[in-house]
Amino acid sequence: MAEISVPGDVLFEDPRRIDGGYVLGNKTIASVICVKSEDRAVPLKGKYLPIIDDYVVGIVSDQRFSGYTIDLNSPYAGQLSTRESRESFKIGDVVSCLIQEVDEVNEPMLIEPRKLYGGRLMEIESVKVPRVIGRNSSMVSMIEKYANTKLFVGKNGRIYIREGNVALAMEAILKIQREAHTGGLTDRVQAFLESEAQKIKE
Amino acid sequence: MEKPVLIRNGKRNDGRGVMDLRPLKITAGVLKKADGSAMIEWGKNKILAAVYGPREAFPKHMANPNRANVNCKYSMAPFSSLEEHGRSGPNRRAIEIGKVAKHVFENAILTNQFPKTQIDISIEVLQSDGGTRIAGITAAAVALADAGIPMRDLVQGVSVGKVDGVLVVDVDKPEDNYGTSDIPVIVSLRSNEILLFQLDGMLSKKEVETALDYSFETAKTVRELQIEALKNKYVLEESGA
Amino acid sequence: MIMDEVKEEFVKELLKNNKRSDGRGLLEYRPIKIEKGLLPNAEGSCLAQIGDTKVLAGVKFDVVEPYKDRPAEGVFQVNAEFLPLAHPEFFAGPPDERSIELARVVDRGIRSADCVDSKKLFLEEGKALGIYVDLYIMDHSGNLIDTAGLAAMGALLDTKVPKYEAKALIRGEFSGKLHLERSAVVCSFEKIDGKIVLDANDEEEVASEGRLSFATCDGDLLCAAQKSGRSAFSREEFSAIMDASLEKGRELRKLIGG
Repeated sequence: MAEISVPGDVLFEDPRRIDGGYVLGNKTIASVICVKSEDRAVPLKGKYLPIIDDYVVGIVSDQRFSGYTIDLNSPYAGQLSTRESRESFKIGDVVSCLIQEVDEVNEPMLIEPRKLYGGRLMEIESVKVPRVIGRNSSMVSMIEKYANTKLFVGKNGRIYIREGNVALAMEAILKIQREAHTGGLTDRVQAFLESEAQKIKE
Repeated sequence: MEKPVLIRNGKRNDGRGVMDLRPLKITAGVLKKADGSAMIEWGKNKILAAVYGPREAFPKHMANPNRANVNCKYSMAPFSSLEEHGRSGPNRRAIEIGKVAKHVFENAILTNQFPKTQIDISIEVLQSDGGTRIAGITAAAVALADAGIPMRDLVQGVSVGKVDGVLVVDVDKPEDNYGTSDIPVIVSLRSNEILLFQLDGMLSKKEVETALDYSFETAKTVRELQIEALKNKYVLEESGA
Repeated sequence: MIMDEVKEEFVKELLKNNKRSDGRGLLEYRPIKIEKGLLPNAEGSCLAQIGDTKVLAGVKFDVVEPYKDRPAEGVFQVNAEFLPLAHPEFFAGPPDERSIELARVVDRGIRSADCVDSKKLFLEEGKALGIYVDLYIMDHSGNLIDTAGLAAMGALLDTKVPKYEAKALIRGEFSGKLHLERSAVVCSFEKIDGKIVLDANDEEEVASEGRLSFATCDGDLLCAAQKSGRSAFSREEFSAIMDASLEKGRELRKLIGG
């Protein structure tokens, strides 16, 4: 079973600048509840903080002369300049964006907006996103294959699902969210998808 | 009302020794909607703590560009005491406790990671039995950890009282009513620092030092129970697949 | 906000060399001035000044019904009001958390030292004396707690007990001075950039990360305490602050004639 650390626990006996930890003296101390692995701490809970080069899925929440405010399922909303797109957006539109820059108060500038439509949006905890993506996108590819869908997974915990068996993809993603910190997850998700796909065929 | 004898042959009115805590149980993640929550049952105290945030600071002009604002509300339900119906709404005592509790978490939370936001902590005393502020803050620390909010340490505390001339830890209601001193303390065991300290009743410096020793010593047990509460929640989620 | 940051930098820079803007030592009070008996309509009064900070305390008596759980005792209560004339950030309205904390810390210091024996305030079945100390914050230039503590204690030392006849108080006639078992005062220390200073002025309070206050009373005892602000304190800091509080407390009690 994975080892759970809580704030104040020593994670590493040497100083490391990592997410979910801070340096005190010459040790690395956990700052959030997390699972410790050999070289990092995987947070079990927490809100999404914008990071440069993350792809995110946002919802247009405000519209002004010079641009849009995009809700990112985070304490920090993104800013998108009208110059970034020939297309115009309405409040409530779902858009995927790339975070180009994050200022000193964590507020992100967004670029490359693409309107997402014709599918379904779901929201999960952002700390579980790496498991939904999987190593080299293996998990995403597997879900897309069995459910015959196209997924756009934002690092901020919003996932847009188009085409195919949307409900099956959603079920698989929820299963991953529930079991994110357990071993052998890929195999179990594959077994689940296979049996469900089989049921549908029958 | 005459003061009862509270310590006989080294035993306290409920049979505890001077360094014994009352039964203590903490449960993490008891509320669905809150970002983090915890329930603490400590002696007959039953206290709920919940956390929302970090979220955008409101009103906007209160936003601090350097760190998150921490708000903390402590309140006692009108039905929480053995005595008469309490007034609803915060009284002066509750406002003061909310303020010193806020200071604890302004220290514990790595607020500089969340500029321009606020973190709202609520401590609701459903049933009171002495030591509610310490129990409430101990629960709030678990709720913050449950919310995934970065902190320097999981903080906790134990109050110390002087009862029948003897220093004892974790005073219950009768000891609180008839004791001569009450010292609520919240500590960080990671840094060996004191985050909350109040005192009333006459004590020598040596007695205050002893009280601090007692708090630090018994806080270790409280911390273990906080960790157990958090681990229970996350392990349960694992097997509940 | 910007002016605050300027002050903060300046205070911290000076403290690096253990210096303060007014030339004081780290554990030294500004000049203290106590004037008792300024308001003859009040049963007791005192204006306390530490540096430019001014707090006026007035004492009034009333006949009250004792609390149900203490039927043979009187009532003692301290209140504080931050007057809008005292500081640009003070506004009229209900008491905020700062004034409540101030009143409660001063109240705790006097109450837990049993300065006033509440049993002696009992008059007859269902009737007791209530003593109300009201603190008026008139000019806020830092360290309100210690100034208010001096004003409250000074006013109690100045207090005469009105005569009680036919179930009523006779205003303006007195049965004697209020008997005090002992006196208590508060000393507050601010933590700025890891340094501990006594009696912070307003600039230093802006730069401060936390405060630790101790009330002390006759017999070299600590009778109340309050840690406030976001910084934490170590055991060593506690020990040093307790020593300084006991020492300075003796001086303050002498100064107010307690």
